[in-house]
Amino acid sequence: MNFTDSIRNSILVIIEAGIILGSLGVVSLSNIIYSAFLLGFVFICIAFLYLTLNADFLSAAQILIYVGAVNVLIVFAVMLINNPKEIKTKEPWNISNNISFFLCTSLFVSLSFTILKTNWSNLYSIQHSLNILDQMPSNIRLIGKNLLTQFLIPFELLSLLLLLALIGAITIARRDEFIEADDSETLDSKEESV
Amino acid sequence: MFEHVLILSSYLFCIGFYGLITSRNMVRALMCLELIFNAININFVTFSNFLDSQEIKGEVFSIFIIAIAAAEAAIGLSIILVLYRNGRSNQINEFNLLKW
Repeated sequence: MNFTDSIRNSILVIIEAGIILGSLGVVSLSNIIYSAFLLGFVFICIAFLYLTLNADFLSAAQILIYVGAVNVLIVFAVMLINNPKEIKTKEPWNISNNISFFLCTSLFVSLSFTILKTNWSNLYSIQHSLNILDQMPSNIRLIGKNLLTQFLIPFELLSLLLLLALIGAITIARRDEFIEADDSETLDSKEESV
Repeated sequence: MFEHVLILSSYLFCIGFYGLITSRNMVRALMCLELIFNAININFVTFSNFLDSQEIKGEVFSIFIIAIAAAEAAIGLSIILVLYRNGRSNQINEFNLLKW
């Protein structure tokens, strides 16, 4: 029991170090393609963190959706958009960055202070004494039951939302043929008007 | 363990927030938004694992958040693509189309 606990703790430390360093790299690296791939690494680490939190279905969904769809989409956008001459430019460090750094650090300090000060063990013991009696059924079965009974309307609305988002994305990103015909003209007129 | 993961998710939230307000590149701002969504998801999963492990409503809710985040990423990236096509730039501070 002790042995498995130590193994679990060391795995957790590795995962958390991956998340911390990877998210720092996402924000602070100057080359954006590196930060796009580091974002995928952070997503995979978060999926492993879900595995240690007994959420196996959610970890699979995280890998499928985030790493497989969102991160691939971001990498495609980086490759489509990035200017080769802008790829090495360092973002200037000015006073507003200092202010926001200070704000975020104070937010983090106050959040962690609140987390450490709150007495979670009371809440945990009350809930845990209620829950420890029954045998825990399968995770996936519970999610499916909740999705199709109590959360049925949000579930259906969500599928509608995804369909609308896909149609909207295609409509926005589609290159209109009339605009393409006189693309240079509109650009020139825009520059003149500015 | 519990407070550990909570502090980790608050760290992820803060660093995503910092990147969202300081980054000049629009794609990087979108990536930081995804980091914030992941921090929220970690919070949901942690609370549902520790307090509601019988019927895991937090995990169901985080599935909704993941789906909405996927839709948001598709819409945001297509908006960025159109802006880049019209303006030949991907810096946030160069876009003031809605300003006047």
